[in-house]
Amino acid sequence: MTCEELIAHLSSYIDHEMDAALVAEVQEHIAHCRNCRVVLDTTRRLIVLVHDEGQRVIPADQRSALFERLHQAFLKRPQASNESAV
Amino acid sequence: MPGPTIELTIYENEEALLAGLRRRDPDSCACLIKRFAPLVYAQAIRLLGDADEAEGILQQTFIKACDKLDTYEGRSGLGSWLYRIATNEALMHLRQRSPHVNLADVAETIQEDEMPHRLTSWTFDPAAAALNSELRMVLEQALATLPEALRVVFVLRDIQGLSTEETAAALGLGESAVKVRLHRARLRLRELLSAYMQEH
Ligand SMILES: [Zn+2]
Repeated sequence: MTCEELIAHLSSYIDHEMDAALVAEVQEHIAHCRNCRVVLDTTRRLIVLVHDEGQRVIPADQRSALFERLHQAFLKRPQASNESAV
Repeated sequence: MPGPTIELTIYENEEALLAGLRRRDPDSCACLIKRFAPLVYAQAIRLLGDADEAEGILQQTFIKACDKLDTYEGRSGLGSWLYRIATNEALMHLRQRSPHVNLADVAETIQEDEMPHRLTSWTFDPAAAALNSELRMVLEQALATLPEALRVVFVLRDIQGLSTEETAAALGLGESAVKVRLHRARLRLRELLSAYMQEH
């Protein structure tokens, strides 16, 4: 397996979407190629790093102005149709 | 004249807030907004890459949520429910906004310039680094430079944690297209973050 082939398969390897024969080839290559080892390791670290970003909130200093605009827009919203039907 | 001040901590927990929303307490929607707007906004800006558009999605999300409370079954938690509404609204907005997509952005092979160039290892511990606000900013900025076709897949798969199948369904793409775009997004972000890691 060449470095280019390894890079092409990198995400399949990380995500365990690869058949066993190919996994063995990747591991064989990684054992001998420092560059590909670094790319694999840093890509994995990237994925770990962003994983918790989903729960990230906006900075406090932006929050109150945003909230104020949002609340005003909310108060001015058109009435929901189910309320007028009552 | 400023409006009356709203007491935003009148509900002890999420269940009390939900009960208030169901009773249609006058201030309950304001409390919902206060509690969850930052989370929803962060998701919208990641998907759209534009602060003004993200704010529009934020408004639509809460207006929709407060109008549709009767259909909320309470199984997933208010935060996840709002997150899902925001994601759907943002994706709908993206579909309407982007008639001209750059073909290179949606190519189903790695582009020449996406091959790794920076080959220094990262010494930091990702678990500890997740708390570093400077790194977070670098990451959000790097994310914003990705072409939309790659960014959206990365946000849904690696940040939001959807499966390949769920992401494909949400975007109306084939699973192989999702995989290739995710891979291209990862390579680009790895490169961008490596530049930062090298200097720190
Ligand atoms: Zn190699």
